[in-house]
Amino acid sequence: MKRLLMNKFVIGLFCTLLALPALAQEDELKNLAGYVDFGDLSATYGEPKITINLGGTMLNFVGMMSSSESPETSEMISKLKGIRVQIFSIEENTDAARDQFSETKSHLKSSGWEPIVQVNEDDEQVLVYMKAIDGNMEGMTVMVVDEEEAVFVNVIGQLNPAELAQVMDKFDVNVDLDMD
Amino acid sequence: MNEYDEKREDLINALMDGELSATDAELLKVEASDDRELARAIIEAYQLQLEMDAIRVERAPDSLRKRLRAIPREHRPAPVFSLLQPRWAMALAAIPLVVIVVSLMQPDTPSASEVARARQEMAIAFAYLDKAGAITGREIESSVGHTMADAVTDSVNRVIKSQNLNSKEKEA
Repeated sequence: MKRLLMNKFVIGLFCTLLALPALAQEDELKNLAGYVDFGDLSATYGEPKITINLGGTMLNFVGMMSSSESPETSEMISKLKGIRVQIFSIEENTDAARDQFSETKSHLKSSGWEPIVQVNEDDEQVLVYMKAIDGNMEGMTVMVVDEEEAVFVNVIGQLNPAELAQVMDKFDVNVDLDMD
Repeated sequence: MNEYDEKREDLINALMDGELSATDAELLKVEASDDRELARAIIEAYQLQLEMDAIRVERAPDSLRKRLRAIPREHRPAPVFSLLQPRWAMALAAIPLVVIVVSLMQPDTPSASEVARARQEMAIAFAYLDKAGAITGREIESSVGHTMADAVTDSVNRVIKSQNLNSKEKEA
């Protein structure tokens, strides 16, 4: 009987310890005030064509690597706690994406997020929300839905768009964006 | 019992146990043919031996045997540490598991390629932010004209920047 209890204890302890790192990583961003749950569109559109989840630890490393070549970029990154991106290819089936868009918008409003920019065109919707607590910027959320894709971006931490435009030139990245 | 009787009993016992030499056994046989009392004693001893052999040895119940076997162990001083004990064996088996789990929990230092990939991903995220900014700028411009668009964009940037300045002041 004692041995059985001991076995159960060891197995339970092992399972708990094994689950901790995954839970900790997930919670690292979820517990932050600037985190936004975008829901799940994969049931309608399949897996996202782009998924990005960068936590504070990785961003710190990116910031450190950038410090020598661009102190401004490093300074900007140091204020970020996480970056999450989900991009779905929707191919003119915009209904589910627009529903998710509305649902997330309601959620943001009820969670103390402030709308900064809102564009409502027939073929294109853009929302930019920001959350601040006691005057401190905690996060920014950008959602774009057009005829081809649904884009959900959540930046956790402080980000100044003016600084962003300045440091974009420093990144040697070719991103094919449809700007029609 | 006199000395003669004792000697005779020893001989009979030796005969029964098969320890008597063939010569002595023959002598005892000859003697018994003349001595009825000796002959009766040998027969009685033989019958007793047969009866003894006929007695079946019964096996003790398992529970009793287990308890009897445990008695010496109970009186033995308990070993303080033995790797063969189940609890210590399990503890030893758990050590590698704990080491693996703890190592998984440690924040790994990412490789240069992982950091480069993260930088690329961050750039993609920023590019999409830029795209959203461009769309909103274009919409504002088409609605209110270029001059007003700049004013609105600057105003939005000021609002966001003021939040950052506020944070900096609080940090200071």
